Amino acid sequence: MATPSDFPLSPPDDKSPIPEVVTTPSPTPPTTEAQQASIAQETPKQQDSPPSVFKNSEPLREDQIQNAIKFLSHPRVRGSPVIHRRSFLERKGLTKEEIDEAFRRVPDPSPSSQPTVSTQDGQKAVSNVQPQGQVQAMQPAPVVMVPPPSLLSRFRWYHAALAVGVLAASGAGTAVFVKKSLIPRIKSWVRRIMLEEETDPLKKADAKPSLAEEAVAAAKAASAAASDVARVSQEMMITKSEERKYFEDLTRLLGVQVQEMKSLSNNIRNLEGNYNNLPKVYSADQEVYGGGLVKTSAERRSYANGSNIDYDTRSARSASPPPAPPADSSMPPHPKSYMDIMSMIQRGEKPSNIREINDMPPNPNQQLSNPRIAPKTKPWDYGQAPQEENANGPWWQPKNPRSMDFGYETTASRSIGIQNETNTMEPAALPRQRSWVPPQPPPVVMAEAAEAIRRPKPQAKIDQEAAASDDQSGVSDELQKITKFSETGGDGSGNLQITEIQEEREQQQFSQEGN
Amino acid sequence: MPVFKAPFNGYSVKFSPFYESRLAVATAQNFGILGNGRIHVLELSPGGPGVTESIAFDTADAVYDVCWSESHDSVLIAAIGDGSVKIYDTALPPPSNPIRSFQEHAREVHSVDYNPTRRDSFVTASWDDTVKLWAMDRPASIRTFKEHAYCVYQAVWNPKHGDVFASASGDCTLRIWDVREPGSTMIIPAHDLEILSCDWNKYDDCVLATCSVDKTIKVWDVRSYRAPLAVLNGHGYAVRKVKFSPHRRNLIASCSYDMSVCLWDYMVEDALVGRYDHHTEFAVGIDMSVLVEGLMASTGWDELVYVWQQGMDPRAS
Repeated sequence: MATPSDFPLSPPDDKSPIPEVVTTPSPTPPTTEAQQASIAQETPKQQDSPPSVFKNSEPLREDQIQNAIKFLSHPRVRGSPVIHRRSFLERKGLTKEEIDEAFRRVPDPSPSSQPTVSTQDGQKAVSNVQPQGQVQAMQPAPVVMVPPPSLLSRFRWYHAALAVGVLAASGAGTAVFVKKSLIPRIKSWVRRIMLEEETDPLKKADAKPSLAEEAVAAAKAASAAASDVARVSQEMMITKSEERKYFEDLTRLLGVQVQEMKSLSNNIRNLEGNYNNLPKVYSADQEVYGGGLVKTSAERRSYANGSNIDYDTRSARSASPPPAPPADSSMPPHPKSYMDIMSMIQRGEKPSNIREINDMPPNPNQQLSNPRIAPKTKPWDYGQAPQEENANGPWWQPKNPRSMDFGYETTASRSIGIQNETNTMEPAALPRQRSWVPPQPPPVVMAEAAEAIRRPKPQAKIDQEAAASDDQSGVSDELQKITKFSETGGDGSGNLQITEIQEEREQQQFSQEGN
Repeated sequence: MPVFKAPFNGYSVKFSPFYESRLAVATAQNFGILGNGRIHVLELSPGGPGVTESIAFDTADAVYDVCWSESHDSVLIAAIGDGSVKIYDTALPPPSNPIRSFQEHAREVHSVDYNPTRRDSFVTASWDDTVKLWAMDRPASIRTFKEHAYCVYQAVWNPKHGDVFASASGDCTLRIWDVREPGSTMIIPAHDLEILSCDWNKYDDCVLATCSVDKTIKVWDVRSYRAPLAVLNGHGYAVRKVKFSPHRRNLIASCSYDMSVCLWDYMVEDALVGRYDHHTEFAVGIDMSVLVEGLMASTGWDELVYVWQQGMDPRAS
């Protein structure tokens, strides 16, 4: 919204932030519009450049997301907590965005994942409801085909009890029914026969057809009764065998559960006790002696469990033991007293040397004492050389400031180190100048030193060279230029083969002295 | 080279950013399993090689880490095994200390680091899977960063960017955080086993090193984080702590459960440039002085604190 009249009238304080903006190309006094535009450009630039390096700026990788979806759709993974699933995917190298995308795409009915789902808008919620309905519809089908053990067990428990009751009732009912109906029938049949026998001589003649009829009727009744009995007894047998089957299944499941619990308690005991024989819980090869580290955590927590230390506000001992990682045969050898203390704690004893100490602040509002020294600049923040005392200063000051002698050196490694250091030096890195501060030796000496490093032919000025080679700095190009110079016209390159061994020894001596 | 014998097992050692001759040592009784703790403040005597204790603070529980404030020369912050974070002022006598105690973490606090650029805040990493951001003058933590799935062993500030820090965790990931962002900005699955420590390169703000139970140290560039810049092998057991030199761009110091302290140059083919075997138990703490180039200190479960100049034998007198 600039007007041409604003041009010369821009106040100076509006111009003050503008010099910082590198992007404004026009040298003329900026208009307010240009100011706004440049400021608008400036702020995103300032925000983008520093933190952008520490962010994932790559696009989402579809193949990784597909793998993650397959992983998350696995039924066993469904049962695990969300944090474990996220941790697994992170360990596989997925970025946060990819993990979130995979979670979004996989329908997840578990409640702990609802927060991630709920962060989405309503449209996502609708799409989630549909997959959930499908998932629920899917679930009864598998139940019919291959019911998961938990469902089966629930089915069995409840239904087994019901079936047992029903069968018992039916068995009792049939027994009663049989008693009530069968026995009277037999009795009546017997009575009838008796009566018939009595009345037989009298009514034999005219009772014959009726007798026959009665006999037939009785036979029929008997057969019916027999078949009834047979049927009922067969049913009872079947139900009995079914009951027995159910009971057997029940006992088997219980036995399996008992075994699992036994193995779990064994595992826990092993993990707590003997960390040398810990079983491999994870399929990956894990060697831990972070045992020195993590074992202490496991032990601290198990101790807390063992002695019933309550979670009070002061101590932060947690009640639940962590999943202690397994150890391998390459566990570092722990000190003997460490083992003693561990075994003491496992037995529930407390080491005797612990004192009761009150380490709470005596005055919670105590003021900090005033600082006596201003904060010092860090060596990586400035480019100048700080003071370096060599022989005059306290014993801890470096005597040989640029010494590469770490107690482990060969000339080969030194030369490689120097060459690589020079290779990695960049002109733009001002702070690095500080590390190359020590006095630059004259080129001639450097050349001879460079030669000495590159070939073990010692030169005349051994002392200076050794010092120079220790302090040496310089770009690799420079070095090569100078060595070329020395090779063509340098002195002392000829007559030293004889004294090679002596001077090498001298060199070694000097480098030892220099330490 | 001076040696200090502490009554308890050493856990961490830190040079003061204000005084060249001062360092703090965090120790714990009974290897830190169960027992008291003590913080020692040591002074290097200028006359001959020697180190003396100037002040000590007793704590009820193990001290796992200690760090110096960058704003106040006499203040140090301790990470305690009972989950508390305590602030001590060495200018005040021990009966007046600690001056603050923050009880917020649910589990042991394993590391504490002070912000070297902003100088007003510090982060603590705890076994309760969280990292907390604190300021000296606030009574409670400013933020809690809860994303890791297992213990967080260390959190370290970036030496150039005052809002960025990295955390190393037992869930095998290294996370980069920006305090202005709600969650972590990068997740690097750096190792296959627990990551015990991490540190930023002081001269390259995008490079950091991690060390792990898998005995290696890996150097990462956040701009190309899919593969490490270097993998440093050589330790015989888990590497407990890693530290970039404040004076040299490529120099890394590390200490390990194989009782040694090693120096590495990760840009070189044969990266191991130094090895010190002065400890007789796990070496668990290491630091390189910011004020004195080449000065290093280490401590271990053998209850000893060594201070020496690179290239010299720590046990030489």
